[in-house]
Amino acid sequence: MKLAYYPGCTAHGSAVEIDVATRKVAEVLGVELQEVEDWNCCGGGFLDERDPAGHVAINLRNLSKVEKMGVKKMVTPCSVCLHSHRMAAHKYKENALLREEVDRRIQGTEVKYSGEADAEHIVWTLLRDVGPERIKSAVKRPLMGLKVATYYGCQMLRPSEVMGFEDPHRPKSLADLVSLTGATPVSFPAMTSCCGFPLMGSNEKGGLRLAYNIMKGAKDVNADLLVHPCSLCHLQLDVTQVRVRDMFGLNWTMPAVYATQLLAIAFGFSPEEVQLGKNAIEVLRQKGII
Amino acid sequence: MSQEIGREIKVRIKRFSREKGSWWQEYPVKVDKYTQMTEVLKRIKEEQDPTLAYRASCHMSVCGSCGMKINGAPKLACRTIALDEVSRTGSNTIEVEPMDGYEVLKDLVVDLDDFYERMYKVTPRLKPSQEVLEGKAQHRLTPEDQSRLWKFAQCIWCGLCVSACPAVKTDEQFLGPAAHAKGYRFLSDPRDTISNERAKVLIDSAWRCTYCYMCYEVCPRDIEPVEAIKLTRTFTDKFGPTGEASKLGERHSKAVEESIAESGMLQGGKVYLKTYGLVNSLISMMELMKDGKATKLIMEKQKKVKGLDELKKLLGERQ
Repeated sequence: MKLAYYPGCTAHGSAVEIDVATRKVAEVLGVELQEVEDWNCCGGGFLDERDPAGHVAINLRNLSKVEKMGVKKMVTPCSVCLHSHRMAAHKYKENALLREEVDRRIQGTEVKYSGEADAEHIVWTLLRDVGPERIKSAVKRPLMGLKVATYYGCQMLRPSEVMGFEDPHRPKSLADLVSLTGATPVSFPAMTSCCGFPLMGSNEKGGLRLAYNIMKGAKDVNADLLVHPCSLCHLQLDVTQVRVRDMFGLNWTMPAVYATQLLAIAFGFSPEEVQLGKNAIEVLRQKGII
Repeated sequence: MSQEIGREIKVRIKRFSREKGSWWQEYPVKVDKYTQMTEVLKRIKEEQDPTLAYRASCHMSVCGSCGMKINGAPKLACRTIALDEVSRTGSNTIEVEPMDGYEVLKDLVVDLDDFYERMYKVTPRLKPSQEVLEGKAQHRLTPEDQSRLWKFAQCIWCGLCVSACPAVKTDEQFLGPAAHAKGYRFLSDPRDTISNERAKVLIDSAWRCTYCYMCYEVCPRDIEPVEAIKLTRTFTDKFGPTGEASKLGERHSKAVEESIAESGMLQGGKVYLKTYGLVNSLISMMELMKDGKATKLIMEKQKKVKGLDELKKLLGERQ
């Protein structure tokens, strides 16, 4: 199976472990990820308000490259990149005034978008196109006894009229994936709440409070760690977690692991190979998994 | 679908009274494919249990009375068909609870004073000029302006978006989605005369939204309040920041735009540095070192997009 692949800026930079793990998992499952040539940033969730037509146009630049590759799906490991591309394609189709301005901008460039290609989340692709059987048969190190809180966040689910993969109020994709690894998925009330990352540029304390809600929610259901589907949730819940612990004076950790990092561990890769954080490694050791 | 007529489902309602506290109660109800959840509640109250309390009036998404949680989702009961819920969840039992975020008065009835206060803070009415009030001039609104504002004027004050909003729960200074939709509708109305006062109330609060799209998801009138919040942020340049969140946020958002224009990429480290300055950035880095997390941020080296000229054209730069 050949798919266009869009890692996004964060998985290409400060959370490169997401890109590393995703490529390893895809390889094991026989999925060929072909990186979109010379892709650009999706706007990071902020450009659309400053320049609505520019946001749509630069996302269509990526999707038009995907169409040139002869495929319709561009998989990404990042919920914000997913959201940004899908919203751009949606607005381009729905909003005639905006489309006029976008068409003016793409005139005379290489960008040519027929409306066929769209972004997909890697979790959707794994469950729907690769399928549970193939994933299950790749598991070499079952994560038995590990309780994993499934954290979905926002942008992979909402708005559901544009994202569309699952019920935004009762998502189960991550639980399905976690079950395949042999670990026990645990849901919790805050699993569809925001991690607070989009607030980190304007109201850091507010953002960290939201991150605490997620960590505490996972802790309250006795999870050993939490799994999430987004590069920016990763920055907030993994990279920045120590700041949440300092702000709230916590003496416990709630390691946050990206979905394909967890799969990679179950597939037999070492924690170092997928650059797992030290707090997550500690948990896996305690549980006797590594 | 004739086989669906008279199908019996179970409705599990989270009850509450000041005297007895909180408990769950289950009722069997016969429904068909047209039965709205307001009708379900009416049948329970009329035929089985007159003590059940809930609000409902128009049964057509206009009055905004029947907001509640149905199988965990914040919804208007009148817009929810009972059997659609059965097929959504695959369960013959529908769970009904009061909306989150408000004090429960009895059963499904919540105290909406907090919601109304948020709405009054943004002065939810047009303030026309003196000339218009004295009949010496006319209100003029172009069809373009009308179609731009139309969506944000459709709020029915049901309170669902505020009940589902995570930022409202953790930040007292955030007005919440509905008030922002209403506020933007007047802030950008060319007939209004108090935009300076409106800006003072709206701008800093707009930077306290976390873009989770919950309000977009749950609004029964498709208002997309988060879009109003995004649009309100664009007024920061015109009126100036009115607090710490808008000051930092505007700087951050500009840095994101500059980063994309310069390299085609979002360079996280650079954006953070531009937003918070060197000293604060260093303090944050030191903190992250405790978890061994700072190295990747410092060492972050991203590619630059080759087709930068094309990208700049797409971003509206004149050739």
